[in-house]
Amino acid sequence: MRRPTRTEARNARAAAGFLLPFLALFLLCFITPIVYAVWQSLHKTERTGPLGLGGAEREVFAGFANYAQALADDRFLSGFGRVLLFGAVQIPLMIILATVLALLLESASARWVTFFRSAFFLPYGVPGVIASILWGFLYVPGISPLVKMADAVGWQVDFLSRDAVLWSIANIVTWQFTGYNMLVLIAQLKAVPQELYEAARIDGANARQVALHIKIPLIRPALVLTCVFSIIGTLQLFAEPMVLRPLASSIDSGYTPNLHAYSEAFVGNNQHLAAAEAVLLALVACVLSFGFLRLVGQRGKGDGR
Amino acid sequence: MRTYDTIPPGGARRRSVLGGAAAVAAGFALAGCGGGAEDEKAAPKERKKGQKITLTFWSWVPGIDKPVDLWNSKNPEVQVKVEKVSAVNGAQYAKMHAAIKAGNPPDLGQIEFPVVPGFLLDNGLLDLTTVGGERYKSRFVGWQWQQSVFGKGVYAIPQASGPMGLFIRQDLFDKWDIEPPATWDEYEAAARKIRKKGAWIETFAPTNGNRFAGYAWQAGAKWYAAEGDNWTVAIDDEPTRKVADYWEALVKQKLVKTIPDRQNAWYKDIQTGAIPAWLGASWGDALLVGNAPDTKGTWRAVPLPQWTKGANAQANWGGSTTAVFAGAAYPKDALDFAVWLNTDPEAIKLLIEGGYGFPSAKTGYKTSDLDVHKDFFGGQAYSQVFREAGDHVDTSWQWGPGVDTLYQRLGDAFTEALSSGDSFRSVLKKVQAQTVSDLKGKGLKVESGG
Repeated sequence: MRRPTRTEARNARAAAGFLLPFLALFLLCFITPIVYAVWQSLHKTERTGPLGLGGAEREVFAGFANYAQALADDRFLSGFGRVLLFGAVQIPLMIILATVLALLLESASARWVTFFRSAFFLPYGVPGVIASILWGFLYVPGISPLVKMADAVGWQVDFLSRDAVLWSIANIVTWQFTGYNMLVLIAQLKAVPQELYEAARIDGANARQVALHIKIPLIRPALVLTCVFSIIGTLQLFAEPMVLRPLASSIDSGYTPNLHAYSEAFVGNNQHLAAAEAVLLALVACVLSFGFLRLVGQRGKGDGR
Repeated sequence: MRTYDTIPPGGARRRSVLGGAAAVAAGFALAGCGGGAEDEKAAPKERKKGQKITLTFWSWVPGIDKPVDLWNSKNPEVQVKVEKVSAVNGAQYAKMHAAIKAGNPPDLGQIEFPVVPGFLLDNGLLDLTTVGGERYKSRFVGWQWQQSVFGKGVYAIPQASGPMGLFIRQDLFDKWDIEPPATWDEYEAAARKIRKKGAWIETFAPTNGNRFAGYAWQAGAKWYAAEGDNWTVAIDDEPTRKVADYWEALVKQKLVKTIPDRQNAWYKDIQTGAIPAWLGASWGDALLVGNAPDTKGTWRAVPLPQWTKGANAQANWGGSTTAVFAGAAYPKDALDFAVWLNTDPEAIKLLIEGGYGFPSAKTGYKTSDLDVHKDFFGGQAYSQVFREAGDHVDTSWQWGPGVDTLYQRLGDAFTEALSSGDSFRSVLKKVQAQTVSDLKGKGLKVESGG
């Protein structure tokens, strides 16, 4: 075996110097919490002593008992059903809206482009909690100008009723993230070489045809990316129902899986069950996003690309 | 003590978190878990003469800084630092439980009566008898002292309670020719009359477990009992069923609203007279004054309606304590502060001005001191109503572990029942079963009563 030269050794040291801080942070901030959550999810607390109070408390291995308990909980499962329904409706709507806005703003005849781009993006800068409070005021009867206006024309609306509240949340999420997704799509549109458009125009394509046959296929990777982000985001739905909960009698403490885990951890004080639920949530997010990627990946190959 | 639930809870941006609970787990990991009960039982340190220490105190009571400042100016050696915690949706308790788990709780904390047993489950509170806390028993109203006594241990110093009463808009009741209801039957009749005028007497807030517990308490229910090594849970008992049936009837006849109370829509109704009454507690005066200032002079307080005419059964909603956490470095000094805060006449005066509720101390104040919003109640000595209510609260009521969870379960089940039309009795049945299994899940010995 050849001895490494001095330069090679120095290079290796330099590489390690660059890599170590990253690896340390990666271990501390990414791997450790995951390992700890999994460890927590496999344990439970056992108490002894009179009345169970003031006695000893210890952590014992519980196997998959927490997972079994989570999966046997109707409310946890129906929370999943709720976010999946939410995603199936809200994600396509939002992505279509974002795509249309991106195409409009990037079309040759668009005016005031920078103004509209910032205006649409602005809601993303508003934290989810603040956005939910803001919309909460627009939903609450007695205060909301929207409800008042609807009332004036004889239309009885209750944005916070059991049937409507999920879509009231969808509205907040769409308001917040359409502009963000639009910006991702615009970035990709900008990367398309102008010659392609010129060639299409020379071939006699009109604006609609250019959008449908050139622009959309070319921003496909960005579309896939925004979809995956949205799938993960939908499963993590938390701030909106959390903030609207005190305002609406229609959102319970297990409305979304994340809210359910939060309630278990901080109201029920059962971190072990909450950890199991978090791990399950992460698994579902993994399966769905990779499943989606596989699905569009295969279709992509079918297109001959 | 009320909770202040108009501020939203803090939360992470939706796309930037990796699953709430996972992030939480990360927090624990970084804070260095462990710190189990065992290491905390080290002998308490005695402060040396002349040694200066600082105690931390987590509280959310408005105006708490003022009595604490007074203490600090009188006790240069034992300084108390207040750290405000959010009391929205029980966030303060979540924070305290997490700190206990992480092994770094504050020295003192503001804890409501119902959650004291929940903290015992975590071995989170210091048994004050280890530093002579039992000596102060005689200074406090008996049943309130008793709320923090479990077995031979004393786990908190009571601060304030919330005897219940009925707030009414006297001007509207007069205009509509309605007498203040003395019984629940009269209350229902009043509700019917008010509904005919286009208003609603009240709201049955499905998620307010605290208030529902108050109704049950008044009717003679006993949700928890501790005997020997066993807990008995009886949420589905006869008195509670009576209460549930009563409110179900009001809801089904559409005589009451079902919106959450103490939220924007409710405040609006209170301001406009769309809701001219509120089954509240003594601390509710500040809430009405703060949120419906334009209705000044029109409100009165009357006693809680009774199940049988002429009876005098009362209830309590809220009430809180100052507790010393297990592992406090200087428990004696912490206890001294807790006792001083809740018995010293000057401290109580400052707390009353802040609007903290009905003092647990027997002495050091007059009921008239509490009438700080007399003008708002048209000159009525309204605190007398609550004083008398406080004297007739069934003192054998006891809280058990996991009351936060119980309230959540009740809220979820009532929410469900309101939309599905299921009976309120089925809510009690369901919550009873869930609570028994919750407590079993925590490793306690539980029996189902009722």
